[in-house]
Formats: sequence, structure tokens, C-alpha cells
Amino acid sequence: MPPDASRDAQSASARRLLDAKLSWHRAQARLPVREKVRILLELQRQELPLVARHRLLRSWERPWPIEP
Amino acid sequence: MNSLGSVFSTINRLQESGLIEAYAIGGATAVLFYAEPTRTYDLDVFVILPASARHELAPLAAVYEWASREQHVADAEHILIHGVPVQFLPAYTALVEESVRHARGFDYEGIPVRVVGPEHLVALAIEAGGARRRERAHLMLESGAVDAAALREILSRHALSTEILDAT
Repeated sequence: MPPDASRDAQSASARRLLDAKLSWHRAQARLPVREKVRILLELQRQELPLVARHRLLRSWERPWPIEP
Repeated sequence: MNSLGSVFSTINRLQESGLIEAYAIGGATAVLFYAEPTRTYDLDVFVILPASARHELAPLAAVYEWASREQHVADAEHILIHGVPVQFLPAYTALVEESVRHARGFDYEGIPVRVVGPEHLVALAIEAGGARRRERAHLMLESGAVDAAALREILSRHALSTEILDAT
């Protein structure tokens, strides 16, 4: 494949990936708020142990003990 | 188990008590109403205090006393409402006050809640600065929830940089 054609193919492929990413973000944004709260609570549970390995947590930094 | 709606309900009761004139949820929790979820461990609530409390040395003293009466424990600058760290922030700039006055009303699982509007959320993130807030502003812009012309007008009126709009 000539160099220009190869560059064009790579560029088109990168564009498709970026478009797919943007569309995933927009789909996440359109979720019902309650579902987004559920995701936030899950993020807190998953991330906090990792954060705790790198620094001291502040007293109030803990997963929220609630349901969405 | 309590829900986020229970927290909003408690904040509504605080407003009904007259100790705050108006409130609006801000920060990452407000972002949930417009864009994709982003991590946070506390809930920011901007409040406009009654005129009598605004010029006191400790303007939130009455709010902390109310929390104590309601059995909500204070932890540093937060009040734990059903275990969720809530930070009440008096409107400290003209932009914050405008954001509260123009907040949007939502219904969360049957509970009314006032949330800073999308354009004001971006403007507040720019005003406060910092990498995480800038990231949040970009999330809001990518969500498609922000009216660019309205945001530009707010940024210009409060003498804030419009660079974020010029770059998109």
C-alpha cells in the first residue's frame, strides 16, 4: 500500500475509534440519573482501595453507605 | 437503607426550616444530572443564606447546629447526612449566587431537588480552576447538554476565560 494510502487508512481508523468513544460517552450521559448514581457508588467501591494504596484517605473519603 | 433521595429530602427540609434561603447541588453530583458519571466522595451544596447570617463570622453556624439537632454528625468541613459527606458552601461569588438563583428543578425518585444548570456548572468549574474541574467542564461540553452561546454569555459577564469554548 502506498505511504499516503496507509496514512489515510490509519487516520480513518483513528477517527472511527474516536467517534465510537464519543458515542459511548454520550450514551453514558443519557442513562437515567438513578443508574448513573448506581455507577458512581460502584466507582467509589472499586477506586477507594486503589487510592488508599497511594495516599492517606481523608476521614470522609469512603463509599457512600446508601442505595441509588 | 437510605438512598440519595433521602439525602436530597433532608436538604429540602433544611431549606424549609428557613436557615437557608435557597440551595443548589453542585460539583460532580450535579454533573450526574447532565453528563456521564464522574467520581466524587462528597456532595457540594451551594447555599444562599438569609441576610441576617451572611455577615456573621461563622455564617454556617446555624446550619451546623441544625445538623447536630437532626443527629447528623459533622466531620471536618462536611456534615454526614445518612453517611454521605455533604459540604454546604455559602455563595461566595456573584457567579455562585447566580448559579443558585438559576438552578434547575429535578425530580429524583419522587423527591424534588435543585441542581446547578449545565452552563453554570461549566462556568463554576472554570472559576474554581484545577485539573479535575477542567476535566469535568470538558465532560459537560462533550455530553451535549451545554448551550455554548449561553455559556459564552455567562463567562463573558463574569470576566472568565472563554478558551474552553474556543478550543472546541
